Amino acid sequence: MGGFPGVLTSILEGVSRALLLRVGACAACAAILAAASDAVAVEPTRPESRYWAFRAPEPAVGPHTAAEWARTELDAYVLEGLNGKQLAPSPDASKARLLRRVSLDLTGLPPTPEQTERFLNDDSPDAYVQLVDSLLASPHYGERWAQKWLDVVRFADTNGFESDAYRPHAWRYRDYVVQSFNEDKPFDRFVLEQVAGDELFPGDPVALVATGFHAAGPRHVIGGNQDKEEARQETVTEMALGVGQALLGLTVQCARCHDHKFDPITQKDYYQLEAFFGATDLKDVPLVDEQQAVEYEKRLTKHEEILKPLKSRLKEIEAPFNKVVRERKRGALEPDFENALQIPKQDRDEKQARLAKEAESQIKPVWYEILPLMPRDVKRRRAVLRSQLHEFELRRPDPAPAAFAVENLKEPPGTFILQGGDHRRKGARVVAGVPAILGPQVFDAPEGSDGRRSALARWLVSPGNPLTARVMVNRIWEFRMGRGLMSDPNNFGVLGGMPSHPELLDALAIRFMHGGWSVKAMDRLLVLSSAYRQSSDIDAKKIAEDPDNRLYWRADRRRLSAEAIRDSALAASGRLNRSVSGKPVRIPIEPEVYDLIFTEAEPDNLWPVTPDVFQHDRRTLYLLNKRTVRLPFLANFDQPDAMTSCSIRQTSTHALQSLSLLNSDFMLGQSRSLAERLLAECGDEGSDCLISRAFHLTLARHPSSVEQRLARQFLKSHPDALQDFSLALLNRNEFVYRP
Amino acid sequence: MNSSTDRKSSHAVGQGSRRDILRRAANGFGAIALQHLLASHAPAVQEANPLQAKPSHFSARADSVIFIFNVGAPSSMDTFDPKPILNRRAGEPMPESFGLVGGQFTDGSNPILGTPWQFRRYGQSGLPVSELFPNLARHVDEICFVRSFATRSVVHAPAMYEVHNGRLFATHPSIGSWVTYGLGSETENLPAYVVMPQPEGTPEGGTSCWSQGFLPSVYQGTLLRPGPNPILHLKRPEGVTGGRQRAMLDLLQAMNEMDAGEFDSEMHARIAAYELAFRMQSHAPEAVDLSKESESTKRSYGLDQERTREFGTRLLLARRLVERGVRFIQIYSGGGPLSMQWDAHKHLKANHEKMAGHSDQPVAALLDDLKQRGLLERTLVIWGAEFGRLPTSESGNGRDHNPHGFTMWFAGGGVQGGQSIGETDEFGLRAVEKPFNMRDFHATILHALGLDQNRLWYLHNGRHEKLTDFGGTVIESMFA
Repeated sequence: MGGFPGVLTSILEGVSRALLLRVGACAACAAILAAASDAVAVEPTRPESRYWAFRAPEPAVGPHTAAEWARTELDAYVLEGLNGKQLAPSPDASKARLLRRVSLDLTGLPPTPEQTERFLNDDSPDAYVQLVDSLLASPHYGERWAQKWLDVVRFADTNGFESDAYRPHAWRYRDYVVQSFNEDKPFDRFVLEQVAGDELFPGDPVALVATGFHAAGPRHVIGGNQDKEEARQETVTEMALGVGQALLGLTVQCARCHDHKFDPITQKDYYQLEAFFGATDLKDVPLVDEQQAVEYEKRLTKHEEILKPLKSRLKEIEAPFNKVVRERKRGALEPDFENALQIPKQDRDEKQARLAKEAESQIKPVWYEILPLMPRDVKRRRAVLRSQLHEFELRRPDPAPAAFAVENLKEPPGTFILQGGDHRRKGARVVAGVPAILGPQVFDAPEGSDGRRSALARWLVSPGNPLTARVMVNRIWEFRMGRGLMSDPNNFGVLGGMPSHPELLDALAIRFMHGGWSVKAMDRLLVLSSAYRQSSDIDAKKIAEDPDNRLYWRADRRRLSAEAIRDSALAASGRLNRSVSGKPVRIPIEPEVYDLIFTEAEPDNLWPVTPDVFQHDRRTLYLLNKRTVRLPFLANFDQPDAMTSCSIRQTSTHALQSLSLLNSDFMLGQSRSLAERLLAECGDEGSDCLISRAFHLTLARHPSSVEQRLARQFLKSHPDALQDFSLALLNRNEFVYRP
Repeated sequence: MNSSTDRKSSHAVGQGSRRDILRRAANGFGAIALQHLLASHAPAVQEANPLQAKPSHFSARADSVIFIFNVGAPSSMDTFDPKPILNRRAGEPMPESFGLVGGQFTDGSNPILGTPWQFRRYGQSGLPVSELFPNLARHVDEICFVRSFATRSVVHAPAMYEVHNGRLFATHPSIGSWVTYGLGSETENLPAYVVMPQPEGTPEGGTSCWSQGFLPSVYQGTLLRPGPNPILHLKRPEGVTGGRQRAMLDLLQAMNEMDAGEFDSEMHARIAAYELAFRMQSHAPEAVDLSKESESTKRSYGLDQERTREFGTRLLLARRLVERGVRFIQIYSGGGPLSMQWDAHKHLKANHEKMAGHSDQPVAALLDDLKQRGLLERTLVIWGAEFGRLPTSESGNGRDHNPHGFTMWFAGGGVQGGQSIGETDEFGLRAVEKPFNMRDFHATILHALGLDQNRLWYLHNGRHEKLTDFGGTVIESMFA
């Protein structure tokens, strides 16, 4: 590469140093934008001069290569990039590594022993293609994708905030996502359903459930004096953010309070986007007819009947103590309140009525006031009754099925530009429209209740929108190749930088749209490519030239996600319950974690564990995701908190992870089960069988001779050595990394 | 603790981040400039240990923080911000000129509630403290009271999030995570950011209060509990001896070495993490083992008395952690059931006497102890809450939430004690003189630690996120 003019270099240096040392991030980037204004045209009316990401991708002739290395058309692009830096691609990874890699990538699970056996012994030229096709057809493929998509839409099973209430129907949206990827639903249809399924496909329960997309984020629901308009504003903001980040790859949220500092998105643009949701309300919409609903109601009533005797016995036990507390507290009432109470209900004036109501709430006995008064045997009887109640509650019949979805308001309020994002400071009224830079100046969206989101959805998947397809193919690429062509999949704005391979990104986007928006086809193309199949070994020379592997001179070795680590351990131990879909599962949690669940009520039964223990070994995707109760094993491995959209998983490495993998009950259980499995499968065949089988189950390969020697020695060391050996394999770098 | 290549992170302190911003900057100019710039600064692939102690942006006054958060919100006008007019006007409505200012449950029309406590002036500064804190009162000359803070919600959880992360939502990293991200750790054997909630339960905001948000999990607040098993999963499984685990680790590490190539920093980081985890199993219990503390120390924290034992134990632990290089200690007074919070909607007197009774002596002892050991100078102690309480009454004898003006105090860490900054109006309703918000609060804490609020940022979803967002005002006059 030729030298860059020295003067300019030093100017750039100076600017960047100044940015780093003296000004804040926002200001820093504004300065960059100002300096770069030549490169970044923000004029909306001249498409040809728009920033690259805001222009529709155009078909172009791709690079040609005669190199044998290139198996697919995308390899030609990769090779071109590498050639530009005089780099050569890496040779193919070994079959064993490729097997584990593609299995973990496409299904989030290691290969089964049968898959390993078959693939490693199949020398036919299309063995890999067959493997890939079988993985793409696996029901676990959709689960793997769902985890990714749920990260992006910040899905969880609860509201968040202090009460963090359970959303009894949210899991249907999760299942919808799994199902959609499994059946290779065209991505444009997937977008239409999620954004406006209720409007575009009325009567289709699947499309209705899909609109849970808008409800996936956190929501603040509490009592007391609440500003309803503020709460409404928060809801609408979350909806606009969801579309902005997941589908447009734009940081629209920046324009909530001010015109976007870096991207040509004005505050007006932002509120126009919000206006698409101005009529949208979150709602659990019934999925059964009234007659069926009555049946569900009956079952619930019956359940309550069963509980009645228990509840009344509990009440009896508590009654005398409640009375004592009540009288004591009444004695301590302020005179105003006492006087109000003494006036007969019907004679109280407004103020007295209010005082009396407050007085009632003041003298109401609370659990921690009555407990200390109870003799020990009474307390014990009460505890038994309560735990019986909780037992019964586990068998509470399901509520009538409903979609965790949206519904249009009959009389939608207007949408206004809000100064500083403050709902009390309304500016001009706006109607629905997409950011001017992306589309026609006047967007033809209805102003009434219905049809706004349909208009948005149709535009999102129209050929005129440059972003939806680009953003999705980049997500797919990032998911499979470890790093996006755009490094931040949620930001196609100016700060997101340039793609590493712009022509490739556009070629893929066009192929995606023209090929029926098939995610599976795109996945297949990627994992069959030579770029994907490369070894992950590090080459000293190449890493010096391209340390971040932006040009894909090798495959990335990547830490498995938290979910994949847990699922892999379950798969290796043989305990994995592979059933797909259903209500979320509560697995047992550590007492330390239980103690952190916030409640002002009596702190029992805060985490009713799913009674069927077989369910506890379900894939992590199906574990109840409560926003304020993070499972430490998963949180330690960077499971996102579902408060904001997560486009790329973090991978940090620290000692708390090691402690979880060494000492947690979960890992203890898995290592025991793995040891038992090994013994059961090897029978009397001795340690070489145990060792070889253990390597197959955990690492999908044969042990090396060195490994065999080490293992033999270790197995002789003490009676529980097989369990420890199993634990060591489950802790091994190779096990928690995608090869 | 050790490192990983964190591709998304951009911390303006180190080399890697510089590379990142240059890359982003250069993308606007064209890739050639970028390549050139990067070539001249190409660092080794191995990036620094994310928890390695990092230099501050400028000279720091404090190295550690102990943040005592009083869950449910103590009343300022009954503790550190006397308003004599309340007792004179008790039972009367607020003057009309103040408007109707309600809380979460009252609408502001309730009569004024007098304070049940006397105030006295203490120390050379003569600053007033109510009878609720007779022990702490001896330390006023070391304390800087800021009487004019405000938060933006009358509801506990959002206001708590604002105090912890600057936003009304749990979407952002907590201040402890930011500080750990910015400065790393001075201890290899303990977590850098430690959280000690009330045993009866967490604050309303839950664990989100100490969340690392979108920062890597290495910057998480680690829960620490008194007793033999202070950190989750620290204890070896039943029946597994140290020797047996070591033998297993030796096998594991031998295999891990096979997986780690020369340039593979993540693999080496994992190997180091296991060694640290193994060491932590002996160091962490030692850190929480109070048996080596003298009887007089324990007595001073109130470990010999029922009402102070629990909180005193946690504050004594806080001192031990500071001694051992823990960077940020978040400790909660109150949590869980209403009876264990400062949330005095009714029976203000009984509630505050109980809660202050738990904490007055231990907090005073902490300041004494830190000072005696020469640790106070470099340890910033913060006492605060999500808001204060209204001058009007609730239930006749309680107070509702008041985010419009309340007191927090600071000691140690270069703070000029014996002063108060800012004022609320004569009823204690609103901050009127030098009002400060949570951005100012955070900017000031970062400042004490030698961190510039604008240079501590992290790229998330395309935005350069900062603790103070658009920036806060450092309360300069707080420092000596």
